[in-house]
Amino acid sequence: MTETTGVRGARMSHSGGTSGRPALRGGQGNASPARRQRLQAPGLPWILPALVLGVGLIYYCIGYTGYMSTLNWDGASPNPESVGLNNYVRIFTSDPVFWKAVWHTVVFFVVTFVAQTALGVIFAVMMHSRIKLGILYKVVVFVPVVLAPAIMAPVFRQMFSINGQFNWLLEHVGLGALVQPWIGQESTALPVIMAITIWQWTGLTFVLYFAAMSQIDQSMLEAARIDGAGNFRTLVSIIWPSLRGTTVALAILGAIGALKTFDVPWLVTIAGPNNATQFLGTYIYQMTIQLAHVGYGAALSIILLLVALAIAIILQVVGRERTREKKGAR
Amino acid sequence: MFEVRTRWGKVLLQVLATLFVLPFLFPLIVMVQGSFAGAGWGNYRAVLGVPGFFRFFLNSAIIAAGVIAIVYVVTMLASYGFAKLHIRAREVYFWMLLVCLTLPEVVLLTPLFSTTQQLGLYDTYWSVILPLAALQVPFAVLLTRNFIHGLPDEMFEAARVDGANSMRGFLYLVLPLTRPIAAAVLIFTLIGAWNDYLMPLVFLQSQDMQTITLVPQFFVGEFSNDQTKILASAVLTAIPEVVAYLCLQGLFERGLSAGAIK
Repeated sequence: MTETTGVRGARMSHSGGTSGRPALRGGQGNASPARRQRLQAPGLPWILPALVLGVGLIYYCIGYTGYMSTLNWDGASPNPESVGLNNYVRIFTSDPVFWKAVWHTVVFFVVTFVAQTALGVIFAVMMHSRIKLGILYKVVVFVPVVLAPAIMAPVFRQMFSINGQFNWLLEHVGLGALVQPWIGQESTALPVIMAITIWQWTGLTFVLYFAAMSQIDQSMLEAARIDGAGNFRTLVSIIWPSLRGTTVALAILGAIGALKTFDVPWLVTIAGPNNATQFLGTYIYQMTIQLAHVGYGAALSIILLLVALAIAIILQVVGRERTREKKGAR
Repeated sequence: MFEVRTRWGKVLLQVLATLFVLPFLFPLIVMVQGSFAGAGWGNYRAVLGVPGFFRFFLNSAIIAAGVIAIVYVVTMLASYGFAKLHIRAREVYFWMLLVCLTLPEVVLLTPLFSTTQQLGLYDTYWSVILPLAALQVPFAVLLTRNFIHGLPDEMFEAARVDGANSMRGFLYLVLPLTRPIAAAVLIFTLIGAWNDYLMPLVFLQSQDMQTITLVPQFFVGEFSNDQTKILASAVLTAIPEVVAYLCLQGLFERGLSAGAIK
């Protein structure tokens, strides 16, 4: 993998240097850059379908949304009133639900990311330690990743209801005092949503860490052990640092995933009670589809998009730093 | 990773692992056990007896197949272009695609809603297939382009010297050599399309167009909130996914994790 990145880096800078110059066609094509140029056919037609579909459709939608965000529109009336940037002003100055949704997204990201990382590493270490039934355990932890949240939602609604199986379990393990309407009250609804998300995505974290751990140099572990390091010490000082790349990638995926959160809070708690599980995605949906405040929903969408974009740029910068580090190390 | 030499240590580790895994199993047990509550197998019979139940599966399959076909063709063409052919301002185009990577689908709802209605595409498969494909393409291109970058330039140059044009290079070099990454693209596109909820919810209104992710809601109406039958329908809709995963375990795990490994 490192090899590929290195090659790619070199090649990119190379072709970047030549693409500016006009191609030397025919004749004395001994110089390597010119030769490469001649050997590379024009590629624009090849990327055109992707651009039309991806960029065309999506940028069209973004442009359209940007226009709608300046309107006070119910989505149906033929003559929507233009209100300039008023929708944005209202969102930032007098919309407590928006800030609630932002806060939930941040809490959601931090909690689910930390829990998934911890569980993922623990599972990966355990599965690498020759336990019995390892494959079965792996299947159980990974199956939630492939199940649609929309299909599991009724299961969780039932499970966390007041006389659901979760309360039943609490009673039977002697924690009857904790029995409560988990999704029916503000204080526990968000933790339930986060627990469902952790249940769903830990399998992916685990599989990634599992793969990353297989690449750790065994002799390094042996050496540490000979030097007297115990299991815990090995985990903290050797295993965890060598997983850094995977952790960064998972953090980025998790952040974008948190911004996109819709299915679970919408289907399990309908973003309630009293907006306790409101996220940006569910808020936009409520505003646009249910309340027909299309202009306002569009302004929310644009804000969501800008935040996602900022994260994408961070993704690129971090990714580049990582590549540079790897190169420097060699 | 861990060295556990003593007998007790081994037992302790096994017990710990089991304790950690059980919470993951619990919702699945709840689902299956709940689906048998009350009428037992009768719940399943009632669900399977609902006319048009298989229509949901068929619709999901059609949509997933459509998305996969479009994403595969478009991605392979574009990745080849980006990785091995000459394009002016290539990085600009690539960045324009990458921006779409982070786009939450809820942002697309209103523009697509009015546009599909104007074009007469509303409540057709296209109104779900096209946006889903558009959302999957950037990521698929990112993965595949990196993969094709790793293929040696000399091979493509040799083919060209031997008189192969870029189309032949594509057919005889790119397509066969990209199979491993194509499998990954296939899996995450399949899961993305099959499990998607929002697009079918908004764009597929007719009963006989709806996908399996809308099944629970359909049965809330159909059985006036009879939880046991709703859970039975959840089990039935989950079975194809679980079976597919069990049969292609390695492929699923590699495919889904391809995103986090650069």
